[in-house]
Amino acid sequence: MATAFLSSLTRGIGRYALVAALTAVFALFATLAPGFLSGANLLSVLVNNFALLAIVAVAMTFAVSAGGIDLSVGTAIDFASFAFVSLVLAGQPVALAALGGLAGGALVGVFNAVLIAGIGISPFLATLGTLFVGRSVQQLLTNGGNPVYLPPAGVPEAFRFLGHGTVAGIPVPLLLAALVIAGAWLVLSQTRFGRVVLATGIQASVVRYSGIRLSRVTAANYVLVSTIAAVVGLILTSTVTVYIPSSGNAFLLNAIGATFIGTTFDPRGRPNVPGTVLGVLLLGVVANGLLLSGLNFYWQQVGTGLLIFSVLAIGFANRKAAARA
Amino acid sequence: MADTTNGGAIVRLENIVKRFGGAAALSGASLSVKRDSVHGLVGQNGAGKSTLIKLLAGLHRADEGTVEIDGEAYDRLTPHLVEELGIHFIHQDRLLVPTFTVGEALFLGRELRIPGTPFLDRTGMRRKSAEILARYFGLSLPQSALIADLSAAEKQIVQITRALIANPRVLVFDEPTAALVRREADLLFQLIHRLSAEGITILYISHYLGEIVDICDTVTVLRNGRDVATLPVAETSATEIGALMVNRALGELYPKPDVIPGEVLLQVENLALAERFDAVSFALRKGEVLGLTGLVGSGAKEVVRTLFGLDLPTGGAVSVNGETVFSADPAEATEKRLALVPEDRRRDGVALDLSVTENTTLASLDRFSRGLIDHGSERRQTEDLVKRLQIKTDGIDALVRTLSGGNQQKVAIAKWLSRQSEIYLLDEPTVGVDIAAKVEIYRLIGELAERGAGILVLSSDIEELLGITDRILVFFRGRVTRQFTSSETSPDQVLADVTGAHETLRHAG
Repeated sequence: MATAFLSSLTRGIGRYALVAALTAVFALFATLAPGFLSGANLLSVLVNNFALLAIVAVAMTFAVSAGGIDLSVGTAIDFASFAFVSLVLAGQPVALAALGGLAGGALVGVFNAVLIAGIGISPFLATLGTLFVGRSVQQLLTNGGNPVYLPPAGVPEAFRFLGHGTVAGIPVPLLLAALVIAGAWLVLSQTRFGRVVLATGIQASVVRYSGIRLSRVTAANYVLVSTIAAVVGLILTSTVTVYIPSSGNAFLLNAIGATFIGTTFDPRGRPNVPGTVLGVLLLGVVANGLLLSGLNFYWQQVGTGLLIFSVLAIGFANRKAAARA
Repeated sequence: MADTTNGGAIVRLENIVKRFGGAAALSGASLSVKRDSVHGLVGQNGAGKSTLIKLLAGLHRADEGTVEIDGEAYDRLTPHLVEELGIHFIHQDRLLVPTFTVGEALFLGRELRIPGTPFLDRTGMRRKSAEILARYFGLSLPQSALIADLSAAEKQIVQITRALIANPRVLVFDEPTAALVRREADLLFQLIHRLSAEGITILYISHYLGEIVDICDTVTVLRNGRDVATLPVAETSATEIGALMVNRALGELYPKPDVIPGEVLLQVENLALAERFDAVSFALRKGEVLGLTGLVGSGAKEVVRTLFGLDLPTGGAVSVNGETVFSADPAEATEKRLALVPEDRRRDGVALDLSVTENTTLASLDRFSRGLIDHGSERRQTEDLVKRLQIKTDGIDALVRTLSGGNQQKVAIAKWLSRQSEIYLLDEPTVGVDIAAKVEIYRLIGELAERGAGILVLSSDIEELLGITDRILVFFRGRVTRQFTSSETSPDQVLADVTGAHETLRHAG
């Protein structure tokens, strides 16, 4: 009886631990950091520390769900950004340029798809290759890595909308992040495609033996990952009105971190969109809170590292408890 | 409970009770193994065999009851203590680290040292293991070979050698033949006889009653956590043991309805796969159960794989319902309503970390999704199938990993029932399945035939094939060498063709 109660308690902890951890971190910084709880600061956390990373991390969640990883999400961001800026500079309408940007990002996914689903290279190595090739391509396109600026006079108002605009008072980046999160959750957990992606990550040979065209699903999945990441390229470019080669890689490690935080806390150890989103929030709140606590900027990474260690420890304890039950 | 005094019992477990949570895995089980005997332990999955063995291995502790080894009672056994007492375990697929070399695996945890120094005595270890390998197995394994590169039989040899290095008094074999082919199993039986003659006591756990009768002196039958009988093997039979295990008469073992085969579903003409099989032709009709059998490499298994689009044929034609199939991938085969229940079910048949529901609908998700998955109808379908196939599970959301082998196999079949397949290719459908689940799978095959499906059963269990099929095709060296009508055939006749006895005669004559 007592053991049954204990085990149900620890299972419960697994499910809600992420929310609990987030609350704890929140409470900690609310007392430590002046101004942390102010509306302006929280909004800035959402826009600056959350929205863009959330989109990249959600993209990563698709790759991890299929049992892979995508180290080239930054490359997709960069290609989208480059295509977007170039098309606007060439005088194309902003909407068309944005579509072109998405296509530019998707191209990276097509390249990955050929390597992974076509040739059969492992996702880690294939996307690592893409990351390097993508870096070179960008240097070649920009005379060795020079940023491509939009002349301040020549920036159409519509161009700035993605990064600076608001709809009904809500910043557009946040709105886009919400849309991507909702859409991704729907696709991953409520559609045939999502179910097959998940099954592929769990036991690929069963998917094949079930008469499902595994390589098609894998290919589509990697194109989807890059296309989602490309959205970030558009927002980023619109915010700073410049394309800086290889700047997208800044999101890579945090996106992986957030995805695995979400996976660790899932009772079944499955990658999942809500978990990823909570992981991003946790990372964002810790980064912002540490900053406001007046801690030296260079210590922030230590904070993130500690966070990930504690998540792993809790996840490990959870799984041990579950195994004993 | 034959001898309650210490009449030569080396291992004696008495009235053992072991509970997990609320459920009792053992409720008063006793086992007494006489010194120098070969003692068999049988029981269905869930009867308590593995709990009893884990208890003896010091991995579990009994809630009640006594454990005596050599007449001395032990309150708390640990794996280390058990080894010191001379009891060693040969498990089917555990306990060997794949990335170790043979040499490392053999001496892990009890490395020999050069006397008086902390240095490993590599020469001594090599000499000792080579001696045992040569003496018992007549072979040498390179010490530097990786465990991962060994065959199942070789891994087992490493395990046995590892145990023999420690001069054991009792060897416990836990389902040792599950991963072995017939010839390897025969070698194992010879080895067991020899070890027994040399004074090592053997405790032998197996699903295969035939093996028990062949090699054991005494057998203990477990059912529902108790020992229901301990018998001298000379006074019993596999049939009696099986009946004790399931607590019913074995006459009901092969339920086979009378179905008159209808029109041709699957037509195979001159099918060939380079160097694997050639000129294979047969037809499978609605309501028919067709058996395929043959030795490993005879081509029977490869034909099944090719039909499902896993291998690309090099010649011949396949048609389903009169339509020619050019299936080079399983997706096309399933579209033609073919279904494969593969032999390696834990790798290819079911996804262990998906739920019962997710596995059941994996091949038929189109039926349950209009854009979004309709979870309600998905669950209803799964619940229906769980009920119809009597799948024992904690619920349709339980991970398939938590099910027993037989129930996992039923999930692998349910997947295709949900897909509404018409032609079922079953590859060794009852291997590693306990006897009660076997009967249920046989009944299901009969039921599918009654509903007009065509079923192809590939099996090396000839009695099973004779019991459940209408016809049997025997493969030998890549060709169909003989066809039998199941109801008019005895196992010996089939076996002669499987092993190629007639072929050799023909060549000789």
